[in-house]
Amino acid sequence: MNKKITILLSLLLALGLFVTGCGNTNTSVQSSSEVVVAVAAPLTGDYAQYGNAFKMATELKAREINEAGGINGKTLKLAFYDDKNDAKEAANIAQRLVDDKNILGVIGNFSSSASLAAASVYEAGGLVQFSPTSSHSDFTKQGNYMFRNINTQAIEAPMAANMVVNEMGKEKIAVIYINNDWGITAKDNFINAVNDIGGTIIAEESFIGGQTQDFTSILTKINGVKPDVIFVAAFYSETGMIAQQLQQLGYDYPLAGLSALYNEELIKLAGDTVEGLFLTTNFFPSDSDELVNNFLNNFKEAYGQDPDQFAAVAYDTLGMLAKAIEIAGEDRAAIRDELAKIANYEGVTGNTTFNENRDVIKTMRILQIQDGKFKLFK
Amino acid sequence: MFIQQMINGITLGSTYALTAIGYTMVFGILELVNFSHGTVYMFGAFICLMLMTVLGLNFFLAFGISIVLTGILGIAIDRIALLPLRKRNAPKVTALISTIGVSIFIQNLVMVLWGSETKNFPRVIATKHIQFESFRISHLQVIILATSLILMIGLTFLIKKTKIGKAMRATAQNIHVAKLMGINVDFVISFTFFLGATLATVAGVMVGMYYQSVDPMMGFMAGLKAFSAAVLGGIGILPGAVLGGLLIGVSETIAAGYIHSGYRDAIAFGILIAVLLIKPTGLLGKEVQKKV
Repeated sequence: MNKKITILLSLLLALGLFVTGCGNTNTSVQSSSEVVVAVAAPLTGDYAQYGNAFKMATELKAREINEAGGINGKTLKLAFYDDKNDAKEAANIAQRLVDDKNILGVIGNFSSSASLAAASVYEAGGLVQFSPTSSHSDFTKQGNYMFRNINTQAIEAPMAANMVVNEMGKEKIAVIYINNDWGITAKDNFINAVNDIGGTIIAEESFIGGQTQDFTSILTKINGVKPDVIFVAAFYSETGMIAQQLQQLGYDYPLAGLSALYNEELIKLAGDTVEGLFLTTNFFPSDSDELVNNFLNNFKEAYGQDPDQFAAVAYDTLGMLAKAIEIAGEDRAAIRDELAKIANYEGVTGNTTFNENRDVIKTMRILQIQDGKFKLFK
Repeated sequence: MFIQQMINGITLGSTYALTAIGYTMVFGILELVNFSHGTVYMFGAFICLMLMTVLGLNFFLAFGISIVLTGILGIAIDRIALLPLRKRNAPKVTALISTIGVSIFIQNLVMVLWGSETKNFPRVIATKHIQFESFRISHLQVIILATSLILMIGLTFLIKKTKIGKAMRATAQNIHVAKLMGINVDFVISFTFFLGATLATVAGVMVGMYYQSVDPMMGFMAGLKAFSAAVLGGIGILPGAVLGGLLIGVSETIAAGYIHSGYRDAIAFGILIAVLLIKPTGLLGKEVQKKV
């Protein structure tokens, strides 16, 4: 029995080596007039709004690049793949993209779970997987071809802890977090940082994303310990429900959260119940910056709506990848090396340089919802 | 705090109960677990919301139209996905899988039509509440509970006292014999689906109002909980659906409030399993002879 398994495993391994071997020798055989970059994101399904933000922003950036002459005289073409934010689907797409020699780099995936699932395939195939939004600390540890364009929770959550304890001046903190990869790392980093700077966590409650709609029982429980503030490590839809149910129950606690809340839908959904909410953010449309201003105007002109932070990071992600391709030419390994070297890229989400782990450290700002709008607090 | 938790639980439970009534009714007639019911519930809430926001209709008009439209959808589901299977005498499990397919189709249709993000459901009834010493009950909570009780009583009356109710019971007993006795079985089944879908709409809209939000995935967990409620109370028995819904809602709330929020579903479903091990027919179920 064991022998059979060993033989099977070695066969699989041999096959794997054969496939990756092919992958490494056959790059840059095509010399068409197009440069193709893939975008793998949830275009349908539960998280489609985020995938569509990627799609709109990357299409806008590609058009701008092409209008300015393309990449080394060639047209930049985007190929969209729908991973439905499903880990299996993300890995399948990764295999297809690795095998397709025309693809020079991949923008995606959206969530940490999907990105992590696909990472080993991209690494084996030697294809850049550049996620605009995966903030799980393990993502870029999967290999040399993983890049991200957003602060990890190891960076963002301590900033949020500082915001709650020092800017808001709250000491006793209750935490509600979404029970997934992202929520747990965010919560753990937040709690560690709060303990370091002298705050106290007095309650920790979790919920299952996309399934839990009723928060009254955990809010009633939290009311029993009387916190100074409720910190929410969750996305906007559930945070909106938490805020509304707090009001329905007649409790009045200030709320704070992470950049995942920076979406106009939060205010539409929760109205005045999120008034005063504090959050960290990677991107804020400020009028003073010409680059940001152009982006805002072009986006609004193209799609009739304001870009959110997901669109903004995706826009910069394609910008950086295109720059790497321009220098490296059509060779996957060279593109990876050039991308890693990019320093001080001026994008709409600020100035970006990769560290040795291909993570970025971006300055974050604090927003507060005032009079039904996101306003810059600091 | 305990009383507040009980009230939270009873409200949550009555939203399950409302949905469970539809499950239990279709099962009562067809012996079919209609897994598209949760999605129909979501669809009803979405149609109502869209009529209000896109066409600007007032709530009661939108509610009325959405009930009718969703009812028609219920009939369509039966005609398109189930009737052809019945005609061919396909096994019950085929019909069950067909309803799962329908549910995925409708869910994706809604996402294509209106996007997948969570949407705000307008505040129709002002959030007033009755304040007691240490707890409060909102008017909406009272309305939800009252609605599910009224619907339960109304349906019991419909099934026990009216002609169509008699036809439904006959069809439930034996579909072939009922046909021989001159009952228009296809009409009875269509009517059942219509009724089930309208009830799901009422539930969906109530829940939309209560949480002030609707999203295309809202039907999945609610459907699962409502199905469990129907089974817990004794599937096919109307008061059982309400009792089961309340019990699951309360046990879930107590679990989240006093043990840990991470265990809420595990404990709710654990109670379900425990009850079924002790009394497989559900709390209000009677031992019946299996049809051959």
